[in-house]
Amino acid sequence: MSIFSFFRSAPRASAVQAKERLQIVMAHERAGRTGPDYLPMLQQELLAVIAKYIDIDQNKVEVKLDRGGDCSTLELNIELPAREAAAKALKESAKLAVAGNRPAAKDGDESDPVKLAAGGALTNGGVKKRR
Amino acid sequence: MGKIIVMTSGKGGVGKTTSSAAFATGLALRGFKTVVIDFDVGLRNLDLIMGCERRVVFDFINVINGEAKLSQALIKDKRIDNLSILPTSQTRDKDALTREGVEKVLNELSKDFDYIVCDSPAGIERGALMALYFADHAVIVTNPEVSSVRDSDRILGVLASRSRRAEQGLEPVTQQLLLTRYDPERVERGEMLKVDDVLEILAIPLLGVIPESQAVLRASNVGMPVILDEASNAGQAYLDAVSRFLGEDVEHRFVTPQKKGLFSRLLRRSA
Repeated sequence: MSIFSFFRSAPRASAVQAKERLQIVMAHERAGRTGPDYLPMLQQELLAVIAKYIDIDQNKVEVKLDRGGDCSTLELNIELPAREAAAKALKESAKLAVAGNRPAAKDGDESDPVKLAAGGALTNGGVKKRR
Repeated sequence: MGKIIVMTSGKGGVGKTTSSAAFATGLALRGFKTVVIDFDVGLRNLDLIMGCERRVVFDFINVINGEAKLSQALIKDKRIDNLSILPTSQTRDKDALTREGVEKVLNELSKDFDYIVCDSPAGIERGALMALYFADHAVIVTNPEVSSVRDSDRILGVLASRSRRAEQGLEPVTQQLLLTRYDPERVERGEMLKVDDVLEILAIPLLGVIPESQAVLRASNVGMPVILDEASNAGQAYLDAVSRFLGEDVEHRFVTPQKKGLFSRLLRRSA
């Protein structure tokens, strides 16, 4: 401790970060401990439903799970094949819908990503709760 | 019937053996017939910490395999009357610990002893599972540090699902936290998790806080459980923890920095 440290703004205590990191990781580990890993099943069933109506390529599916403090986001990105005029119309409207948050798709693209984001509380974040 | 206590943590190096030795000695000092068992097959160390390494002839695994009688393997402590040590094998591996064998030995011990303290190895494999399987009570030894806290939580999950009490649908294993290597000065500087932080995360009752202490290494050097160093803060903290375990209401000490005089502050500064 020098006299200069008195004037420096105190850095965020590392113990505080330790606690926050632990609370987040352990809330998820406890939630996952009780049941089987449901994500692969959830993905399969969701895809089966979509495949009933739209012809989708199983390889052009992206599933992301973002674990946050008290809420997790499940993000499902599925590329829909663009065919025929009807599909083109859908493509145009979809492009408009997503133009705000992604670079415009190049003309002549074979497909157009449609984002189905399901934000929901997968866990309740109850850190103290032991199941 | 003796009560079976497991000292467990998941993570290694947090103080399970130190705490097992101290706790068992403390219970014996209070007049209870106590035995402490080393479950760390292949990495025997409880004998060194207890200072009886030169008296080991037969061990826990010999008894399980029927190669020796329990009375031949038990080592009576030379300092305290009610205390015995059951060392483990240095040469065999953890597969030597069969559930039936461990159960047989524990059943026999619980006829003669009030408390059976099981010193668990690190990890969540066979040795650790056998140490906690038959437990009535678990002492979770944790350091105020992220990996230790996470592993402790993992062990709490294992206790809740894979112990005998869990499998047979009996009353769950009771659990208490023993926070070791606690440094109040680092806590005050915001460099170490506070007692309350760890309690909030693990959500189990607190048995005791053992301060980081040079007495622990000194005691292990000479093969004496640190609880017998009654002048040391770690020794006193273990004595308090034993009292709390026995249901006494003892205030927690050594959780705030000790006030230093001006003189010692000046000396420290220049050192």
